[in-house]
Amino acid sequence: MARMRGRGMAACWYGIARTATVDRAAAWAEIDDGGSAKIVTGVTEIGEGILTVLAQIAAHEMGLKPEDVVIGDNDTARAPEAAHAGATRQTYMIGNVVALASREARGKLVEVLAKMWEVEPSTIRTGNGFVWAENTNHKITMGKAVECCKQRGVVPVGSATFGTDTTGLDGTDGAGRPWQAYVFGCQVAEVEVDTVTGEVQVLGMWAAHDVGRAVNPKGVEGQIEGGIVQAIGQALMEDYELSNGHTTTPGFAKYILPTSLDVPMMNSIIVEDPDPIGPLGVKGIGEPAMVPTIPAIMNAIYDAVGVRITSLPATPEKVLMAIREKQQRENQMAVQAAE
Amino acid sequence: MAELQIKATVNGRKISRSAQPSQRLLDFIRDDLNLTGNKEGCGAGECGTCSVFVDGVLMKSCLLPVAKAQGTQIDTIESLAKTGELSVLQKAFHKAGASQCGYCIPGMVMAATAALRSNPFADREEIKERLGGNICRCTGYQKIFDAVELARDVQNGRLPATMLDGIDAEQGDYIGKNVSRIDAPSKVSGKLKYAGDMLMPDMLHVHVLRSPHAHARILSIDTSAAQAMEGVEGVITSADVPGEDGFGVFVHDQPVMARDKVRYVGEAVAAVAAEDPLIARRAAAAIKVVYEPLPAVFSAEDALRPGAPVVHAYAPDNITKHIPIRVGDVEAGLAESDLVIEENYETQAIEHAYLEPEAGLAYVDHDGVVVVISPSQNITHHRHMLAKIIAKPIAKVRFIMSPVGGGFGGKEDMIYQGMLALLAMKTGRPVRLVFTREESIASTAKRHPSKTTLRMGLMRDGRIRAVAFRMIADGGAYGLSTEGVMRKAAILGAGPYVIPNLQMDTIGVYTNNTPSGAFRSFGALQTQFATESHLDIACERLGLDPFEIRRINMMRDGATTHTKQKLKSVSIGRVLDAAEKASGWEKGVSGQRNGRGDLNGEGLRPAVALGARFVGDTKQEAAE
Ligand code: FES
Ligand code: FES
Repeated sequence: MARMRGRGMAACWYGIARTATVDRAAAWAEIDDGGSAKIVTGVTEIGEGILTVLAQIAAHEMGLKPEDVVIGDNDTARAPEAAHAGATRQTYMIGNVVALASREARGKLVEVLAKMWEVEPSTIRTGNGFVWAENTNHKITMGKAVECCKQRGVVPVGSATFGTDTTGLDGTDGAGRPWQAYVFGCQVAEVEVDTVTGEVQVLGMWAAHDVGRAVNPKGVEGQIEGGIVQAIGQALMEDYELSNGHTTTPGFAKYILPTSLDVPMMNSIIVEDPDPIGPLGVKGIGEPAMVPTIPAIMNAIYDAVGVRITSLPATPEKVLMAIREKQQRENQMAVQAAE
Repeated sequence: MAELQIKATVNGRKISRSAQPSQRLLDFIRDDLNLTGNKEGCGAGECGTCSVFVDGVLMKSCLLPVAKAQGTQIDTIESLAKTGELSVLQKAFHKAGASQCGYCIPGMVMAATAALRSNPFADREEIKERLGGNICRCTGYQKIFDAVELARDVQNGRLPATMLDGIDAEQGDYIGKNVSRIDAPSKVSGKLKYAGDMLMPDMLHVHVLRSPHAHARILSIDTSAAQAMEGVEGVITSADVPGEDGFGVFVHDQPVMARDKVRYVGEAVAAVAAEDPLIARRAAAAIKVVYEPLPAVFSAEDALRPGAPVVHAYAPDNITKHIPIRVGDVEAGLAESDLVIEENYETQAIEHAYLEPEAGLAYVDHDGVVVVISPSQNITHHRHMLAKIIAKPIAKVRFIMSPVGGGFGGKEDMIYQGMLALLAMKTGRPVRLVFTREESIASTAKRHPSKTTLRMGLMRDGRIRAVAFRMIADGGAYGLSTEGVMRKAAILGAGPYVIPNLQMDTIGVYTNNTPSGAFRSFGALQTQFATESHLDIACERLGLDPFEIRRINMMRDGATTHTKQKLKSVSIGRVLDAAEKASGWEKGVSGQRNGRGDLNGEGLRPAVALGARFVGDTKQEAAE
């Protein structure tokens, strides 16, 4: 025995947005001069790509290009409340509310043009910086459309609020509606365990996650890949240790993080089961991405070498010890059987 | 020490500047030349965010004394897109979606540039190897490798340069499209300013004095020597808090600075604002605190024992929060099961290790509004809490969220913003605080370490009959997000399975350890680790395939959750099918199959990528 491979899997579920409390967010939108747009909402990028997601949503809803959307700085004195950047709530809460605010701004603009062109508002289309009326020759740029609005005394703005229909939990049996949107995921891990050193290398991960509707598939993959590697850290190496309250892992020399050499080949499969409540069908991915990874790896280690690691992280020493104990047990059994 | 006169060429321009011999090259670049594109992620040569070229060689500038710069040619991240046009590699990072929070990216781009300079034909394994000294906490590295490969192929003419262009959506349909990140150019070029990169005129620097004790009464704090030092503009302790002194995500049990006692090593006790960081550090060291050490408690189990030291008077049993969930009758369910499996699970504390250590600025504006700029994940709630702490109306408190160099939940706590606000108010000048990596690790929240006992009763056909689940989690010295973490752990812990009898208890406990708080996956990670491991044990005992046992038990459309909520559509079946198919899953009971199948067969998953450290041995193994 030297190097053994195994595969393991695990599933997960997760709730989207704040837990067991009413979540809410607001946004303002304006179709601006030159056919650009301003979005102001009280939340900003923490790395997950929300600015791009919001620009895509606003562009999609208002008929612009994402690069023409300016997203205002997040500032409690200048932007409406959108609460916090966490809880896998950004795309769901802020994405949906930006869609609603954008729709309202677009509605104002469409109303002016419908009157001007004497057509039904429902026949007006917007896209990629243009506005046109179906089955007519009317087609102008969004910049021109904004000009037309302003000449008629209208600034095309919108605002919206989006809240969840959720409740707290009963203190005795936990009954309640903690979220209105749930996501599910499943990951398969393939590992190689070195039975001489105890070292585990994760070779491949296959991650299938329901995200409702992917606004930016590459961004979703980025969340899944980042989540998996963070989880590999917790599964195999990371450990914040204390001795009588003093940390013995005070810096990155002692606190070991996954590097480029620990990364498996990661394959993401995006499943879309649209949320029926929000206007976009989107849900989320940030946190669920790392939930099934660790048990999938531990189950794969078991498949490879028949030892179950129930206490994290599965360091080489721990895995090696478990392998030795298993061998001893088997040897004893063999001896007993022989006797 | 005598000052040095540094003459060098930086990003193509000749400079001549005086510098202190104690300065590192990184300080010289960032503080003196105000080239803030390269970052300080660790200050210890471990993360690579500070990587620059010295005479064309990739170096970690946090490890180099400034004297080493004498007469050299230094190129920082700012040198790569000097004309305003991004380099091929920077464009490839943009196109491939290789940046998330962006904090590691300047260093990563420098390292990747060096890699392709050394070997323009480097393959993926070599790229991995060459980026091995650069940590990224966000991306999982895969898109970074993709970016470097894309740049390599464009540079070598194997791919057309148009591969670097963005997409143009038809009909303006931008949802579901891989639009390149709008913030990527500012990140790959190092132009984006994080809080620690920001300057304000007349700005003071803050240093925090921290507790060396896990649990101690504060008998006295004497700040007079610190206050008397030249260059010191303000010193604060809990005595300077005018309002209700407490913050936390659920319970406001943590004072801005320790009040009467300290509860963990690294807790803030006092803070100094001074003309430069060195004076601030010296002044903090001159503050005299007399402590009376108290018995401390270092594990959740110990904290629950009768007679254990009490961490907070309001919680004499040391329980921060207990969340129960009850369905059916668990003992009856276990009794009628064909098989009962019991196992214990343990998870450890984890550091968020966002590459951007905490940093922030504060000032009082012309209207008397107290403004705090920081990478806070929750400015809305921080505004409410700070208004109470400084006893001002909400409209007189303003929070601005600076770009966040990684959060993962760790920047939800208002761990330092209160001190910044108080010092800005006290000194009447802008103040800035930048944590060192060590400070960040020692003083901020971790993922809750947990211990779980799980008993599961199953029928012979694989159906789960009953689950008794009890998790105890060490919440550390303050409440922070413990309540919420326990709640999510409880609601989700038993998994998306039909369980007629369930008894779920998650208990968060106070100890004198570093506080635990919000961390991506928030309790659900700890509990589902236990449940998903347990299901595999059940498979082995029942002779079932791991996918099968989950299909037997999974919730279906219209299911009722453990909290008695009725669901509409449940997609677990779809994700199981998708993962099984994509991975080319080999059916069977884990640990009892005969070796591995052919991973490269038609219609199966792509070949696995072996980590670089296994390259070489693999061939040998294949030959065996
Ligand atoms: S390696 Fe220099 S700051 Fe981390
Ligand atoms: S993008 Fe690499 S650390 Fe955030």
